[in-house]
Amino acid sequence: MVLYSFIRGIFKEALAKKILLTIFGFFTLIIVLIVFAITNSTVEGLQMMLESKSEGGLREAVMMLQSGIVSGVPMFMLVASMLIITSSFVPDMLKKGHIDLILSKPISRTKIILGHFIAGVVLVFVSFLFLLGIIWIIVSLKTGYWNFYFLYSVLWFTLIFAVLYSAVILIGLLSRSSILTIIINLLVFFPISWLLYLANRYFESDQKGIVFGAFAEAVLKFLYQILPKAWNMQDMCDAFITQNPIVSYQPLISSLLFMAVMLSVSIWYFNKKDY
Amino acid sequence: MNVIEINNLTKHFSSKRFSGDKIKALENVSFNVGSGEIFGLLGPNGAGKTTLVKILLGITFLTQGKAALFDKPVTDVNVKRKIGYLPENHKFPNYLTGEQVIEYFGRLSGLKKYDLDKTTYKYLKIVGMDEWGTTKIKKYSKGMMQRLGLAQAMISNPDLIFLDEPTDGVDPIGRKEIRDVLLELKKQGKTIFLNSHLLSEIELICDRVAILNKGALIKEGSVEDITTTENKYIFTTSDLDDATMNKLLLEYKSTVHGKNEFTCLVNGVEDVNKIIDFIRSSGILIHGVNQEKNSLESMFINLIEQKN
Ligand SMILES: Nc1ncnc2c1ncn2[C@@H]1O[C@H](COP(=O)(O)OP(=O)(O)OP(=O)(O)O)[C@@H](O)[C@H]1O
Ligand SMILES: [Mg+2]
Repeated sequence: MVLYSFIRGIFKEALAKKILLTIFGFFTLIIVLIVFAITNSTVEGLQMMLESKSEGGLREAVMMLQSGIVSGVPMFMLVASMLIITSSFVPDMLKKGHIDLILSKPISRTKIILGHFIAGVVLVFVSFLFLLGIIWIIVSLKTGYWNFYFLYSVLWFTLIFAVLYSAVILIGLLSRSSILTIIINLLVFFPISWLLYLANRYFESDQKGIVFGAFAEAVLKFLYQILPKAWNMQDMCDAFITQNPIVSYQPLISSLLFMAVMLSVSIWYFNKKDY
Repeated sequence: MNVIEINNLTKHFSSKRFSGDKIKALENVSFNVGSGEIFGLLGPNGAGKTTLVKILLGITFLTQGKAALFDKPVTDVNVKRKIGYLPENHKFPNYLTGEQVIEYFGRLSGLKKYDLDKTTYKYLKIVGMDEWGTTKIKKYSKGMMQRLGLAQAMISNPDLIFLDEPTDGVDPIGRKEIRDVLLELKKQGKTIFLNSHLLSEIELICDRVAILNKGALIKEGSVEDITTTENKYIFTTSDLDDATMNKLLLEYKSTVHGKNEFTCLVNGVEDVNKIIDFIRSSGILIHGVNQEKNSLESMFINLIEQKN
C-alpha cells in the first residue's frame, strides 16, 4: 500500500516536473513526422522492389518498414532519452532534507529502490506503448496490413530500458548526481554494448581480417557475457516483429542477470548506508 | 512505559575516505523517554543531536549499543507508523503546493485519501497555514516552511513526534504558537522529542532534558532539577548594617549584593535557619529567602565550559 503510494508519488513528480509532458510532446512530434513520411508510394515502392526480387508481397514490405522504424538508431534515441529523463529520480530523492523524511516513513529501503525501479519502468512502458502503438496503427491503416507482432517492440524496448535503468539506479545511489549518471550510461554502457556486439559478431563470423590476441579475445568475450546487450536485444526484437527465428537467448538472459545484479547491489548498498 | 530506550548508544562516522580516523558522533549515550513527556535534547553545534534522532528513525545506523522505540528495535519499519518527524533543514519538492506536500507524506505514512481529505486542512489550520494550502511552496518563507513541516509531522496522528529545531526561522509569535501546539499534543498524550539550541524555549515547555556535548551525555533530568542549585540561597532583607555585613562575609561566607541582598552557600536547611536566626537577632527584617535557580541557559553554559 505504502509502496503503491510511493510509486504514485514518483509519477506525480514526473508529471509536476513536466517530464511526462515533454516525453509525450517529443513522441507526438515523431509520430507526426512518420505520418508525413509514409505515403502510399513509399509502401508501393518497397513492395515493387521486393517483388522485383521475387521475395513476396505486402507483408514483407510492411515488416521491412516496421523493422526500420524500430531499428538500432531509433532504439538508442528512445531508450537514451528515457534514461536521461529518469536519471534524476534517485539523486533527487537523496537530497539532504528529503531523504531523511522518506526514510522516516514506514517503507523499507528495499521497497524504496524497487519502487523507483517499477515507477521508471511503468512510466517508460506507457510512453513506448503510446508512441509505438500509434505508429503501428498509422502504418497498419496506411498499408492495410496489421502486423500484430510489431507491438512486441514495446516490450523489448521497455526491457532494454529496464536493464540499463537498473544501472542508472545504482550509479545514482553511488554518485548522487544525475549528470554523472547520464554520462556514464550514455558514454559507457551504450557504446560498450555496441562495441561488444560488433566484436562478438566478428568472432562468430568466418572471415577474420584482424587477428586479436587470445587474451584480448578472452577479455572481450568475458565482457560480452556479463555486460548488458542493448543491441543484441534490439536484434531479437527485430526477429520477433519479422517472425524470424531467434538465434540465441543468451543476450536476453545475461542482460536480465545484469539487471538483477545491479538491483541487488543497489538494494544492498542502500540498506547499509547512513543518510 | 518508555517510548524511547537508548542504551550505550555509540555512533562513529568514518571521517576521511582513506584515513582511519573516526568522527565520534555519539559515545555511550543512555537515557529513556517516557510516554506523554516533552523531552528536550540540548547541546552545542555538532554535539550529536541530529545523529541521535536519525538513529532512532533508522536513517543512520548505530555503531554499538541499543536503541528501541515502543519496545521494538529501531530497524523495525512498522514502528514508524506511530512516528512523526520534522527534520532540520527539510526540503520538500518545491513544485508541490503545501496541501500536496501534506498529502504526499501522509500517503507515505500509510494514510488513505479519505483520511487525508478530512485532516489535511485541520493540521494546516493548526499551524496557521490553511490560507496557503494551494500555493506552491517555492513561494513560502522560511518560517512558513517550518510550519508546514510541523503539520507534516503531525498528519498521521503519531504517538511520538521528533522535532529537530522546530522553531528555527520562526518569528516570536509563531514560536509561541508552536509551543502551544506542542503543549496541546502533550495534552492528547503524545510524546514529543525536541532538539533545540533555544534554551529559553526548552525551559518553557520541556518536562525533561538531556544535554549532549561532543557526543557524550553530560546531564539528564527534569528542567526543575537541572536549574536549581540546591545549596545556594538568596536572602532579601531590610538595610544591612556594616557589622552584620562583615559577619556575613567572614563567618557565613556570603556574597553581599548591595544593602538589601546577599547569597549564601549552605549545607542543608539547618544552616539556612542559623542565618535567619542571626539576621533576626541583629534586628534586621527578612523580606524573602529563596533557593537560587539558574536559567537553563546559564546552567548549560557552565556545564559545557566545565567540560571543555
Ligand atoms: N553523515 C555524516 N558523516 C560524517 N560525519 C557526520 C555525518 N553526520 C554527522 N556527522 C558528524 O557528527 C557530529 C554530530 O553531528 P550532528 O549533526 O548530530 O550535530 P547536532 O548536534 O545536530 O548539531 P547542530 O546543532 O549544528 O544541528 C558532527 O561532528 C558531524 O560532523
Ligand atoms: Mg542538528
